[in-house]
This record gives sequence, structure tokens and C-alpha cells, in this order.
Amino acid sequence: MNKLTKWVIGIIVVIAVVITGYFVSQNSSKVSTEQIKIGVVAPMSGNLAFLGEGIRDAMLLAQQDLGNTQYTYELIFEDDQLDSKITASAVNKLLGVNKVDAIVSFGSGPGNVVAPIAEQNNVVHLGIASDPNVAKGEFNFIHWTPPAEENKVFVEELQRRGIKKLGVFESNQQGAAAVMADLKEKLKETDIEIVTDQVFNVGEKDFRSIISKAKNSGAEIYLLMAFSPEVEVLGKQIKEAGINTPLTSIEAFELSEQVDLFEGEWYVNAASPTGDFTTKFEAKTNENPTLGAANAYDIFNLIVAATEAFKGSTKPTPNQIANELTTIKDFNGVLGNLSVDEDGIVISKAAIRMIKDGKPVDIDN
Amino acid sequence: MEIVPQLILNSIIAGSIYALIALGFNFVYGATKFFNLAHGVMAAIGGYAVFYFAKTLGLNLYFAVILGVALAGIVGYGLDKFIYLPLRKRKASNMVLLVASLGAMTALQAVIAILFTSRFKTISQNIGTQKLFEVLGGVITQTQLIIILVTALILAGLVFLLYKTLFGKAVRAISDDEEVAQIVGINTNKIIGYVFFIGSALAGLAGILVGFDTGIEPTMGLGLLLKGVIASVIGGVGNIYGGVLGAFLLGFVENFGIWKISGEWKDAIAFTLLIVFLIFRPRGIMNK
Repeated sequence: MNKLTKWVIGIIVVIAVVITGYFVSQNSSKVSTEQIKIGVVAPMSGNLAFLGEGIRDAMLLAQQDLGNTQYTYELIFEDDQLDSKITASAVNKLLGVNKVDAIVSFGSGPGNVVAPIAEQNNVVHLGIASDPNVAKGEFNFIHWTPPAEENKVFVEELQRRGIKKLGVFESNQQGAAAVMADLKEKLKETDIEIVTDQVFNVGEKDFRSIISKAKNSGAEIYLLMAFSPEVEVLGKQIKEAGINTPLTSIEAFELSEQVDLFEGEWYVNAASPTGDFTTKFEAKTNENPTLGAANAYDIFNLIVAATEAFKGSTKPTPNQIANELTTIKDFNGVLGNLSVDEDGIVISKAAIRMIKDGKPVDIDN
Repeated sequence: MEIVPQLILNSIIAGSIYALIALGFNFVYGATKFFNLAHGVMAAIGGYAVFYFAKTLGLNLYFAVILGVALAGIVGYGLDKFIYLPLRKRKASNMVLLVASLGAMTALQAVIAILFTSRFKTISQNIGTQKLFEVLGGVITQTQLIIILVTALILAGLVFLLYKTLFGKAVRAISDDEEVAQIVGINTNKIIGYVFFIGSALAGLAGILVGFDTGIEPTMGLGLLLKGVIASVIGGVGNIYGGVLGAFLLGFVENFGIWKISGEWKDAIAFTLLIVFLIFRPRGIMNK
């Protein structure tokens, strides 16, 4: 075989590979008219993987619980480690390669990344996020108890307990900032004062000096607003500084895998799921439902409800699904009777919980 | 003013951790004259080794610490033997060695994440129940006290090794001029290999202590390395005493810097200090 023949064979092989690859990819991305693809972007690795796994399990549970439907529903999961930089590429992959009809995201940071992309690509997006900006636009929705609702319950609980001086440790992060901005406004109407407000960067592990600054503030309770692992390290270092002042949080305790660090402390969380969901989730995973799992279950069913409401010969367009979502009222979800408000937010109630025997439990007032 | 004693203690604790990293980093830099970015990941190797040996295999904690330190040293020695030495033999520039160390750091971090996941882990057996000591009006934990004592002991040990032993003389000779050291009969490659072992073992020890104090994650080395490098630059790169002085200066500036302003400025303060030194005293405090 001379050199020229080798070159010709080589070129033919390369062309054959390219053509085969093209048709394989065309085939895999061909959209079935009967199938609704839901892309889920959540942390499947990293410090918050346990939350992403909870969301995945809840959505698979919802898919499994699905009765007879007009369309079939496929779930595609992408890992973003709750890192906004990774979120963008994960969403682009879901849109470009998987051709999804709807996207579900977790966290305010990632939600803010997905929202404009979803709007630009005319794809329905439901975020499990505190920041109301995530719901901006025609195609974006939030299923999370809004900060205003959580703060209302939090302030009422502070007043009920007679707490007048609040100390705050807050992570410089979008979700925490949204909750804190609303809380500060609400506290202006009360006699409760924030006596110390310590802000720190995400990734910080040495809180000793900000704890020293807060120590003599006279705070009657400290509010921790952080993700894992900052929330655990912060809780640990507060104890190590010899501070016995009670700790509380809005959601943060359930963002940790080491909830036993906060044994006996009360906190406010987004709505609690029904006992039936908790039982089913525990049977599937041997774990308590993690933060956002019940929202994920509801989101799957909300997308199904909005899609199934459309009676047509082809599957509904994202526009039609989005329009249908805005009309949802008193939907029977695992987080209660759900309605979508004019801002695209699925309204649900906040709950007061505590860590008891190493597990989060609701407290009746 | 009543928080000043606690801020001083916090600065000493932070300074001690930075010093442990800076000591090993400067020790290696002094002999090789390149920025070994893989030095930080040795801290993660030490921390994860103790996590594995003590928590997973259930070995005695002290034995696990020795194994962790040794493993970090061996990995550092291996990097020199299999990556840096062949490059040095080919007269590779310091930039090539730096890029190679960046590659080694990234690869080792990825391996740790694959083996142990990226989740933050604690190796402390007594979370939140550590013995607390009152020192000069401030509070310090048992682990933090050990960190300070270990740093002092390591500094003393390293000074003894460098200035009172034949090995130390050889290291100093290589640090002054590697070619001349070779001419006078010093096996420089062998000595540099040992330097990598000791420097990496020190980083491993720092990672273990940080693991006991806060916790471990695969990327922990990068943050520690950055602070160690800042400390080294401030104190004088390659200078053992300079690294320690720079580490404590950094610890004090960081912790006192956020006394009156928000804690989110901490890193900005550290890097501003670095820039100030790079502009006005690039050789650091100790180097002439």
C-alpha cells in the first residue's frame, strides 16, 4: 500500500466517523412529539450533593407515582455543584443536546443564571430559590416559600419568644441576601433590633474574629444564614468561642448534613411536606426528605398538570405550558394547596421547626 | 477594646497555620527556586490520609497522623522524582516547573475528590465539645493550642536541621548555588528529593491540623497555599524566618483589619498587603 492509498483510506475513515457521529447525534436529539423532557440542574457532587440527590429522588418518585397521562415524561439530571459557573454549561447542554421542554434549578445563584437563558430560549423554568428575581419573565417560576413569608413567621416567632436583640452571621450570597433584605425591612416595624450583622464570603472557614466581634453585642439569639460547610464550621466555632447563646436560622440548618450540631435549636424553614410524602420518600431512600425535595416533587407534578391540561394533537409549546402554569390555583401538592401568583411564584407557607434527636421536626405553637 | 486579647489569639492561630505552610513552601523554594503549586495539595493529602486511616480503617489516631504526614512526604518526594527531576535534568525553566506543579496539583485534587467525594468532612472526634482554655482574656481550643505548639516545634526543628546538621549545610549550599554545590561533591538531586519529602510532610501536617480544627475538602490546599505564598512573599521568599514572620504579620493584619469593618473584606486585606509588599518591598521583610 503506497502513501497515497493510506491517505485516501485515512480520509475516508475520518469522513465516515464524522457522518456516523452526525446521524447518531441527530437521532438522539430528535424530539418525540409524545415526550416531555424535563432537565434538572442540581448539585449531584460537592458539599451539597445530598440536597441534589434528594431532589433527584423526589422527582423520580413523582415520575414513578404518575398515573395514566397523555404524554410521557423523561427526567434528565445535570450536576452543577451549586456553582453558577457550572450551571450555565449544564443548562446549555440540556437545551442544546437534550432539547428539554422544561428546566428545574436549585438555589438562587443557579436560578439567576438559568432564568435569562430560559427566557431567551423560550423554555419553561421552575426554580427552587428564595430570590424573587429568579421568577422574572414569561417562562420563569419559583416554587419556594418566599422570603417575605419565611420572615413573617420568623419575626412572629421572635416576638412570641420575647427576643429583642438579634445577632446575624450572613454569607455574602444571593439567597441569603434576598432573605436578609426583606427581614431588615420587616424588623423596622418591630422593637427587635439587629445588634450585630457579620457578613462573610462563601468559602470562609475562619470565623473566629467575626465571632469575637459579635460576642459582646448582647444578642439574645444568633441567626445563621449560610450554606454547608460554612454553617457547620460557624456553628462549631461559635461553641468553641464559649458562646452559649441560642442559634437559629432561616433554612440554613437543613442545608447541613450535620444537623445534630444544632440540636435543640428552633428555626424557620420553607413549608413542611405532608406525612404521606415523607413516608414514601423515606421508603425509597431510607432518609428524611432533604431541603427542596418536596418542592421538586411538586414541580414535577405542576409541569405535568400544566402539560396535560393542553389537549392537542401535538405536545404543547413552552409558551402554552407557561401560560397554563400561571392559571394553576389550589393545586393539591405535597406542600399544601398551591397557587401560582401574578409574579410566577408558587405560594406555600413557612414552618417553624427544631432539631430534635438529630432530626428536623415541626413544632406546634 | 475587650475583644483585643481574642483578636490577638485569633491572629496567632491563623498565623501558625499560615506559618506551617510557608515553612514547607520556603524550604522547597530555597532549594529549587520555583513556586511549587502542588505544595498546597499535600495539605489535603495529609488531612484525607488521617480521615481514611483513623475514621474509615479505625487505626489509632496518633498512628494515623504519622501515616498521614509520611504519605504527604512520600507523594511530594514522588513528584520530584517523577516530574520535577526529569524536567530539571532537561534544563526546564522555572515557568515549566511551575506549570508542571499546577498540573500535579489539579490531578491530585481530582484524585482525592474521586476517592472521597468533594464533600466537606470533619476529622475531629469531638465536634463542639473540645476543651477550652482561657489565655490572656481570650478563649482557645485544645486543637488550636496544639497548632501553635506544633508550629513552634517545627520551626525550631527546621532551624536545627538547616543550621546544625550536615544535611542542612548541603541544603544551604544548594540554595546559594546548585552548580557550585555539585562541584564540591554534593548529590544535589538526592538532597532536593529529601527537601521535597520534608517540605511536603510539613504541608501534610498543616492539612491534618486544619482538618482537626475546621475540616477537610479536596480543594483546601489552594486556599492554604495562597496564604502561605503571601506570607512567604511578605517575609521573603525562600527565607525560613521570613516565612514565619510574614505568616504572623498576615494573620494579625487579616484579623485586626476586620475589627472595624465587615468580615467579607478579609481576603481583600490579605491581597492588598501582598500588593503593597510587591510594590514597595518585593524581596520581603527578611531578604536583603
